[in-house]
Amino acid sequence: MSLPVILFVVVATATAVSAVGVVASRNVVRMAVWLLFTLIGVALIYFLLGAEFAGAAQLIVYVGGTLVLVVFGVMLTAHGPLRELRTRRAEWVIGGTLGAALFVLLAAVSLELGTKEPHTAPAPGTGQIGLTFLGVTETNPPGNLSGVPGDKPIARTRVAYLLPFEIVSVHLLVVLIGAAYLARAKRRVKP
Amino acid sequence: MLDWFSSTPGRLYVVGTLLPLAAFALLLTAGGLRALCRPFRKQGGFAAKVYWTLGGDTPGRGGAYLATASMAAAAVLGAIGLVLVLGDHTTGAERTARWGERADWLRIGSLDSAAPPVWEKQRETDPTRPAPGPALALEVGYKIDQLTAVVFAMVTFIGTLIFVFSLGYMKDETKETVADHEVDNQRQPTPPAPLPEGKGETDTHDAHDAHHHGTPLPSGRGDGGVGSGYSRRGRFGRFFLYLSLFCFSMLNLVIADNLFQVFVSWELVGVCSFFLIGFFYERPSAARAANKAFIVNRVGDAGFLVGIFVAWTYLGTLNFEEMNRRVRGPDPAAPGLVRVTPAGDGALPLGDARADGTHLVLRPASATKPATGTVPVPAKPVCTDHGALPYWLFVVMGVGIFLGCVGKSAQVPLQTWLPDAMEGPTPVSALIHAATMVAAGVYLVGRCHPLFAPEVLLVIAYIGAVTLFISATIALVQTDIKRVLAYSTCSQLGFMMLALGIGGWVAGLLHLITHAFFKALLFLCSGSVIHGCHHEQDLRKMGGLRAKMPITAFAMLIGVLAISGAPLLSGWYSKDMILSAALAYVSVHPEHWLLFALPALTAAMTAYYMFRLWFLAFTGRPRDVHLHDHAHESPAVMWLPLVVLVVFSVGVAWGWPLWEAHASQLGHVLEKAEPASVSAAFAAERAKEHHVHTAAGLVALVAAVAGAGLAFAVFYRKQPTPEALYARGPAWHSFLLNKWYFDEAYDAAVVKPTVALARAAAAADKRPGGATEPDGKRLDLRTLDGLLNALGQCAAALGGFLRGAQTGRVRAYVAALALTAVVMLWMLAIK
Amino acid sequence: MTELGLTPFLLLAAFLFACGVACVTVKRNAIGVLMGVELILNAANVNLVAFARFNSGFRLDGQVFALMVVVLAAAEAAVALAIVLNFYNNHATVDVDEANELKG
Repeated sequence: MSLPVILFVVVATATAVSAVGVVASRNVVRMAVWLLFTLIGVALIYFLLGAEFAGAAQLIVYVGGTLVLVVFGVMLTAHGPLRELRTRRAEWVIGGTLGAALFVLLAAVSLELGTKEPHTAPAPGTGQIGLTFLGVTETNPPGNLSGVPGDKPIARTRVAYLLPFEIVSVHLLVVLIGAAYLARAKRRVKP
Repeated sequence: MLDWFSSTPGRLYVVGTLLPLAAFALLLTAGGLRALCRPFRKQGGFAAKVYWTLGGDTPGRGGAYLATASMAAAAVLGAIGLVLVLGDHTTGAERTARWGERADWLRIGSLDSAAPPVWEKQRETDPTRPAPGPALALEVGYKIDQLTAVVFAMVTFIGTLIFVFSLGYMKDETKETVADHEVDNQRQPTPPAPLPEGKGETDTHDAHDAHHHGTPLPSGRGDGGVGSGYSRRGRFGRFFLYLSLFCFSMLNLVIADNLFQVFVSWELVGVCSFFLIGFFYERPSAARAANKAFIVNRVGDAGFLVGIFVAWTYLGTLNFEEMNRRVRGPDPAAPGLVRVTPAGDGALPLGDARADGTHLVLRPASATKPATGTVPVPAKPVCTDHGALPYWLFVVMGVGIFLGCVGKSAQVPLQTWLPDAMEGPTPVSALIHAATMVAAGVYLVGRCHPLFAPEVLLVIAYIGAVTLFISATIALVQTDIKRVLAYSTCSQLGFMMLALGIGGWVAGLLHLITHAFFKALLFLCSGSVIHGCHHEQDLRKMGGLRAKMPITAFAMLIGVLAISGAPLLSGWYSKDMILSAALAYVSVHPEHWLLFALPALTAAMTAYYMFRLWFLAFTGRPRDVHLHDHAHESPAVMWLPLVVLVVFSVGVAWGWPLWEAHASQLGHVLEKAEPASVSAAFAAERAKEHHVHTAAGLVALVAAVAGAGLAFAVFYRKQPTPEALYARGPAWHSFLLNKWYFDEAYDAAVVKPTVALARAAAAADKRPGGATEPDGKRLDLRTLDGLLNALGQCAAALGGFLRGAQTGRVRAYVAALALTAVVMLWMLAIK
Repeated sequence: MTELGLTPFLLLAAFLFACGVACVTVKRNAIGVLMGVELILNAANVNLVAFARFNSGFRLDGQVFALMVVVLAAAEAAVALAIVLNFYNNHATVDVDEANELKG
């Protein structure tokens, strides 16, 4: 058992347990905390997979942003009786069965896929992700982030992600404005 | 601009035709804008400004003046054009180029000369079948000859006078509210509340019929005048809108150089007559009359369409010139129908023309040299080649085209709409009867004359003869002033058709022109009488009006004299020519003696009923004192057109020497436009005509004098009492009064079965329980309605069932979604 | 890493996904439902990143996609929370079972 395997087992177990915690806990605040652990666990998995930038983004955006939003939501809405809304046993059974069935099926499909060997090339760094956004696939030497080398023309893929990413960012802005509008305190008009 | 006209002066006519259309478009736009802006009239702002600018609440007169002015301009153009046409001495191609233009409107088929494959295939099975042209084109175009010029001038001139007359006659329509007592009178027998559409129609039917059959209404019209009566907004502008469109359609019909354009205008004329006859559409009788005119005309138009289709299929063109050339040959000196029987191999033995050939030889439309000998049918035929048209189809084509004319010109058996068309305002009657609609039929018969086989011409002659006789007999006993005139129109149109059918081409069309003038005069006079008598049309209530309205009485007397055929008045010339043509024809074909006997007898009847009308209306003691006291002469705007028409009714056909009917100048003008085929086909009659026309003239004169004298004796010397006028006569009297029971016969033969069929269909549609049962309650699969309802009920039930699935619980939806995903994954995973 | 292979990551993602679906199905609290959705999105992300690591043809695209999903999830969370707040303002509850006005 090498270190990555041990790390993976630990992190994966923690993540899975936290996810179960999210499902199982009745209290919204506790759910939020369990979700926090799950998200951190997923971020760690990213690190394990060599996707440091994605992991960092996961930590910053999810844990730092989304989860804070959720917690705010919980704080704004969670009054005594609402904090624990009871679910009927039959619904637990249905939900549980559905989840289990889904897991079984997905797991079966995953196992069928078999184990893919990872490619041997070093994991791409953050800079290369940025270049991917520009559609640049190959630089020489690889990993040289200082700029475009002089001796080799830049190869570009037909697909660059810069424009989609910009669109997503604008979308995010729009969504945030919309959310602020939706959630703004309305003065109730008393007749 | 001037060059544009001087190179092709025919464009004058195009402009003259488009002027009324422009007036129509302007009026339509203005009226539509006003109607659009009406809801905002109180609110101010731009829309309100538009509304008030365009006349506001009161119906504006500006549009009427505009329409009248445009019509007058068209009349001026028509007059100029007439002078130019008569003074133009060019011939042949140059003349054609100067007085006609053609343009494609729709071109069907390929542009190269090869026949379409489908025709090739048909040709293999039937070698005699002609191929269509390289590319068949529906064209628009105009062609001006003497006939067109004269008719155009007549239509625009009379149209203008009628427009002017209408300015006065329709004055009531300029008010903001117009009380229409007629509507109340006609609706009285029905239950008071506004009825559902279909029900009211059938109920008023009976009341309307009773009124039409001449039973006197219990109460006088127009003097009810209670405040609760029906009233509406005046429709002055709309009237002139319709009139303008009507005139445009007629003018377009006159200048058209092809059957297709004629057909389009033909239908436009029909729809305009529908609008105008039903101008007072609140009156059930008017609405019915409009429908009747429209539907009866459709019957004729169906035949017309058949004729057009045959011509299009076999002749490959609808242009009059080209059709004539294809049927009659390119040589104007020897126009004739060549009938052959095709040989076994499909070749047409042109040299072997026989009178009983089964096929009619079609000649090239454009070639100039007549072909002789045996013409082999080319392997790859094109339309401009020789072809053959089965002779019976040629007859069908002629009869079809004539059937359209029968409908429009109100010949037996489609004459029933014309008297009912009197429901429209009197200027409309004048326009329909004199200048436009009924003239269209006669005009078209004149135009298509070369396309008619001898058999068709005989049919035309007999239809005309029967019509002129039947209508005249009916006119003898009618008591409604406009109805007498209506039947006299039918009768005169019969004269024209008869003349055209027996080779009196010039006579028939001359009668069309002269009749237009004096019939317009008569109608406008009757309009003046009706106007002066506060919309009383019953001759039995009039009498002694001469003192009250001298100008109208004088004008009407001239009209009566003209239509009766008094010597030296316009009607005499044309009628004399018709009768001499008829006598000539009968002396050549003695077996058709009816074709002279009927018109001669009818000439006497014409004089009788016209003088009866005049004596009843203008002489004697007033039979209705109240009416007489309030009668008055019409304003100048109405009697001035009468005076102008008097002048024309007297002198429009004059020539030198005056006493010679065949010296009519107008007749000479028309003679120049006569197709060569007429004189060729009726050469024997032409030769005979010079010998018999004195005799014919004498017969006509004696007949007219006899008829007039009889009327004088009965209605002037021996003042009939009102009781005698209202009395029911013997059987033949009521037979005539009921118009030979044509309406009843059609009602029993066509209308009743149709209605019964419709009822049966409706019964099959509806549930047996009747319509009162609420829908969707009972499932009934026996009737169409029930079946459709059952379909609807099934859909509703399915919807109700599926509705239960929409619980509104989001988590249930998610569960369902997840379940679906599971099932689908399972299907994918377990192969 | 090499001896680990792709499958364990996929299994973890499947588990997260199943938990998310169960969470969405079971929770009556709207915010709980929202958390379930976040779990589902994360499961998908894990898959994307894992594929990127173990498939050479898919090398960076997986990560880029994951990033986009993260951003969109943030947007989604913001909007969803705004809706929840609005719903709470109008109904004084966050129980999704109460939101049944569109019931057929």
